Amino acid sequence: MTSRFLKTVAVATAFSAAMIARAQEPKCRVPANECERSIRQMLSGRRYLGLDIVEIKPGLVVKAVRPESPASRADFQEGDRLIAVNGKSMEKATAKVFKETLAEARQTGRLWIIVLRRGAYKKIEARLEPYPQEYIDKVVSGHLAQAHGVATTAGGQK
Amino acid sequence: MLRRTLSRFQSGSGVGEGRDRVSILIPFLIICAGLGVLAWRSYELSVRMERGANTLAVQFAGYAAEITARRVDAAVRAELSRANDEWQQIERGSNTPDDEAVRQWINNNEWIVTAIYVPDHDPASSVYVSELAVAKPNAQRLNREFFTSSGTVRYTFDPDRLLARVHSSIRQQPLIRTAGIPGMLDLEQRAEVSVVSAPAQKGLMRLTNGFAFISPLAAPLQAYAIRAAVPTSYAGSGWANQRLVSLLVSLLALALMSIGAVLALRGLRQEAETTKLRGALIANVSHELRTPLSMIRLGAETLKLGPKLSAKERSELEDQILREVLHLSHLVENVLDVARIQNQQARALAFTPVPPRDLVSMLVTSYESWIRSKGFTVSVDIDDDIEPQMWDRDSVSRALLNLIDNAIKYSADDKRIDVCVRQTNEDVIIEVRDRGIGIDNRDLDRIFDPYYRAKFSDTQTRRGAGLGLTLVQQIAASHGGRVEVDSEPGRGSTFRLLFPRTMSNETARVPGLIQSKPLPS
Repeated sequence: MTSRFLKTVAVATAFSAAMIARAQEPKCRVPANECERSIRQMLSGRRYLGLDIVEIKPGLVVKAVRPESPASRADFQEGDRLIAVNGKSMEKATAKVFKETLAEARQTGRLWIIVLRRGAYKKIEARLEPYPQEYIDKVVSGHLAQAHGVATTAGGQK
Repeated sequence: MLRRTLSRFQSGSGVGEGRDRVSILIPFLIICAGLGVLAWRSYELSVRMERGANTLAVQFAGYAAEITARRVDAAVRAELSRANDEWQQIERGSNTPDDEAVRQWINNNEWIVTAIYVPDHDPASSVYVSELAVAKPNAQRLNREFFTSSGTVRYTFDPDRLLARVHSSIRQQPLIRTAGIPGMLDLEQRAEVSVVSAPAQKGLMRLTNGFAFISPLAAPLQAYAIRAAVPTSYAGSGWANQRLVSLLVSLLALALMSIGAVLALRGLRQEAETTKLRGALIANVSHELRTPLSMIRLGAETLKLGPKLSAKERSELEDQILREVLHLSHLVENVLDVARIQNQQARALAFTPVPPRDLVSMLVTSYESWIRSKGFTVSVDIDDDIEPQMWDRDSVSRALLNLIDNAIKYSADDKRIDVCVRQTNEDVIIEVRDRGIGIDNRDLDRIFDPYYRAKFSDTQTRRGAGLGLTLVQQIAASHGGRVEVDSEPGRGSTFRLLFPRTMSNETARVPGLIQSKPLPS
């Protein structure tokens, strides 16, 4: 009776160990450096503003400003309502329209944005900037750690 | 114009043979022309039909390609936006999408290879997931991105797999078919629709057996195109190809018609020549008639002076008158006979057993004075053992007389004539040989033509109507025989009458003869 109970426990332990081992198996079957190259290619050269906006139907309002980002340097504040971007009215736009406008401006990187802050219109000039290197490194290391179970690859310190 | 030509064809009362040919040729020509026109018309129709079918095939290929391309475009767009919507659902479900959410999304859309989600507020916390299934090594990749309310999704996908996903919209294709509809050609236009990548050429293409149309897809699959090939199978080979057959028939009709036209023209020319010859005859005959007539008149007038003439002069004059009358009657007989022959009236022949020896010797004897008066000597050589033949005595005499007459007319200084009758196994041969001017080779073929008189030798100065040899030949033919000529210009000619030999006790009928009762003479 006792031996049978022990046997059951042993089987259960072995099973759970196997499950844990399986969970920690790399999720990405593509080689790690391949993944890293792909991520760097997808993110490099892309410019960002660092604004988190929310749709308030109708209209767009700044929800958060990323510190150290172009948005914070251009003096955006939480609660600013977007009125126009590069001559396009944003009063009734959705987040998608705003992002497409940003994507169109990606070539020059220049933005003229009019916001409504505390009842007054304010003109803000901002520049889209590329992702800093540490952002990309962070994404890469995050992916590698999570999907491949390794800290870094040979080409990671570029 | 046509009518005039036709009436000329019909009114030409020329030589019988030519007239027959012309009258056969006219309907023949008309039929050929009609056939040619019909065949040409049919050729034109089949060309037009083929052109129409080609146009239809071209348009059909174009439509099939365009419709399928737009259908595929719509399906691709729908698929892309479906993936888009699906991601937005996932994003809304979990406040901050993580690795698992992206992986789930990729699993749902198996054509996506890799994806990265970049949240707006914190690009540093982007989530990247590579595909789970192993991709083909050289598979083409396309990038695409879309925006959500809280971030951006960029992904790469395999267009081949995306197209395979929407493949059901490629396989639907319109079909045109006329087979089975009564009164229609067996046409079937089936477009073979397929996806091609990076086509070298867009638009219409001519294939060996049909047409193809290539219609490019819209972005993002602009490197791909839909190709619709429509085979055209109506232009078969051999007898199945209506166009070829009708072209050949019309060419055949054209060829027949030109042959007919050539023959008709030749007949016309012959007829014209005959007319010319007849004109010459009239001149000849009138001259021939006048001379003996004036001689007779002169003789008769002299005789009427009566008593002053001596008996010798008188008998000379009588001989002269007799001679001229004989000549005249000979001429008239010739003209009449030839005219009869030309009008296709067989002269009534009386076939009776005639011993050739009697016939020839009697003829020579009765004309001896006339021959001698011309200064000729006739030597007659007749085989002894010749049986009597079934001949028409008058005709054969006339033929022989004509030959002797010719020999006298066309002789030069050497005034000897040999008449020779022989017998071979098949034939009885009467030969008349002179030592006269002979016949030029160029004339040999035509001396038997009516009204023809030899041109290339010294002929025109001599009397004659151009009928003698025609008559001789006709007579020989009516006895089932033929005439042979050996001649050498300057040395003389030999004419041979060959009659098929008949046994003495056998009244053989020579084929092709019209036999009748002897004329009451």
